[in-house]
Amino acid sequence: MEGLLFNVNNGYIEGIVRGYRNGLLTGTNYTNMTQCESIDDLKLQLGPAYGDFLASLPPNPSTSSLAAKATDKLVSEFRYVRANAVGSLATFMDYVTYGYMIDNVALLITGTLHERDTRELLERCHPLGLFETMPVLCVATNIEELYNSVLIETPLAPYFKGSLSHQDLDELNIEIVRNTLYKNYLEDFYNFVNTHPDMVGTPTAEVMSEILEFEADRRAINITLNSFGTELSKADRKKLYPSFGQLYPEGTLMLSRADDFEGVRLAVEGVADYKNFFEAAGLGGGPGGPGNMAGGSGGAEGRSLEDMFYQKEMEISKGAFTRQFTYAIVYAWVKLREQEIRNITWIAECIAQNQKERINNYISVF
Amino acid sequence: MSGAADREAVFPTRQSLGIMKAKLKGAETGHSLLKRKSEALTKRFREITRRIDEAKRKMGRVMQIASLSLAEVTYAVGGNIGYQIQESAKSARFRIRAKQENVSGVLLPAFESYQTEGNNDFAMTGLGKGGQQVQRCRETYARAVEALVELASLQTAFVILDEVIKVVNRRVNAIEHVIIPRTENTIKYINSELDELDREEFYRLKKVANKKQRDTAEEDAQMKAKKEQQQKELSALAEGNEENEAPKAAPEDDGPADILAAEEDEDVIF
Repeated sequence: MEGLLFNVNNGYIEGIVRGYRNGLLTGTNYTNMTQCESIDDLKLQLGPAYGDFLASLPPNPSTSSLAAKATDKLVSEFRYVRANAVGSLATFMDYVTYGYMIDNVALLITGTLHERDTRELLERCHPLGLFETMPVLCVATNIEELYNSVLIETPLAPYFKGSLSHQDLDELNIEIVRNTLYKNYLEDFYNFVNTHPDMVGTPTAEVMSEILEFEADRRAINITLNSFGTELSKADRKKLYPSFGQLYPEGTLMLSRADDFEGVRLAVEGVADYKNFFEAAGLGGGPGGPGNMAGGSGGAEGRSLEDMFYQKEMEISKGAFTRQFTYAIVYAWVKLREQEIRNITWIAECIAQNQKERINNYISVF
Repeated sequence: MSGAADREAVFPTRQSLGIMKAKLKGAETGHSLLKRKSEALTKRFREITRRIDEAKRKMGRVMQIASLSLAEVTYAVGGNIGYQIQESAKSARFRIRAKQENVSGVLLPAFESYQTEGNNDFAMTGLGKGGQQVQRCRETYARAVEALVELASLQTAFVILDEVIKVVNRRVNAIEHVIIPRTENTIKYINSELDELDREEFYRLKKVANKKQRDTAEEDAQMKAKKEQQQKELSALAEGNEENEAPKAAPEDDGPADILAAEEDEDVIF
């Protein structure tokens, strides 16, 4: 049914994105990359995929500039797709950018709180999260002005409204602000894909629900794990959990009461995937360090929880491409590309630092 | 004379000889003390060099691990968190105390690092994702900074000791090769001058004695001649009065003889 009219508006976009997906680096590419001796070799290997964007780099570029160029490519492709999108797909793509916008706004809030010149911060913002009126936020000199500008100028207003006041921005830790916003954003996005008439009952709703539920669960688990030993109280922590996902509501309730790694493990017991992750991580990292990449000392074999979450996210994203007539492929493509950039950065970092033993820590699904 | 350039400008007197001898003794004591100090410092210096070597190797390893853990953070957080970390850090967690260590009179600064407890400014960074990596990275870098601090205090000690050892060695060498020989030369010079003076004095005294002897002999001879003359006159007076002219001529003869004697006397005074 949804296939009948989908291509009228969105067929071109879907074709383009599927084309982009085929341009993603494959396992063979990664194997070749790990054999490189220098960043220049790596650049050469990336030639077919990133040619134009890497051309302007000087010989032996730094990993960060490599990553920046790779991000540039993602951004330019995303902008092209966004420019061609119409109707609900355009809104959908805007939703994708809100996540980055939250990060940018959090950055600006930090700058304003510490009375820095926020104009300098604009360069540091993630390009996907840029919006036209962003420079307006830099005019604000105190936090109340900034709060009002954010409410007026940004699409993030609904996420602020109701859960954060301008005093909160002053008093709360920026991380709490960021996570509150992110929680609201996830809930809103989830709501959007499940209620919008164009998407309800289509593969988009199905796939996006899976992805967003996973994202919500991952955030809940991560927040819990990372909050141990910080001043974040359990009640405050509970407020940061998104109110959907496979763990919701029993799992999140248990998460909010968890005191240690074991508590988190019990909380996620009900979901087979997470249970497996925790078992693997519990064996590999021990009770002391559940969600780590072993910090460079030992345990190079054991995959961390974070790694497994990324792996799972990539698999879901890969799975999204098996469905047709869905917007979710755009989201999945962005996520896959992000992972690819992370992989490239990681491999480049390992080559630059001559630490080849951990170079295979990248995640490749194709 | 080459020796002249290598001695101090003193008058060759007994007093300055005494001073020079005291100086030589002082220089020798100072030399042995400085030599011992230099040896103690060199020993310490070698130890520090060895420890610097170890510390540098350690730093290499730690920094490698640290930068890899930073790469992990970048990977896990998926973005640049540098700004956020910078802004949320309010007070130093890792602090340094400076102490001083005394090595043979040289004060070496030593840095001691310690971490203030409960200071966790960015504990919540990466709450959503990558928080564990951020904390781990911080710990790794704390270790790296510790290694750096250790290296810094060693390096400072190294530089200071190097300087001091150079100064001490320069002093040792100066005393050994310049001051002691020069003082010895001066003593030798003073001694030789004094000997020379002694000899001169002796010769002069001998000369004077000779002169005096000769003068006395001459005087004796004159006295003798006078006596004989007087006796002759007396005998002539006794003989007759017509020979009155003769004693008149005799004092005329005496005049020049007296002048000669006076001249001789003046010469003696000279």
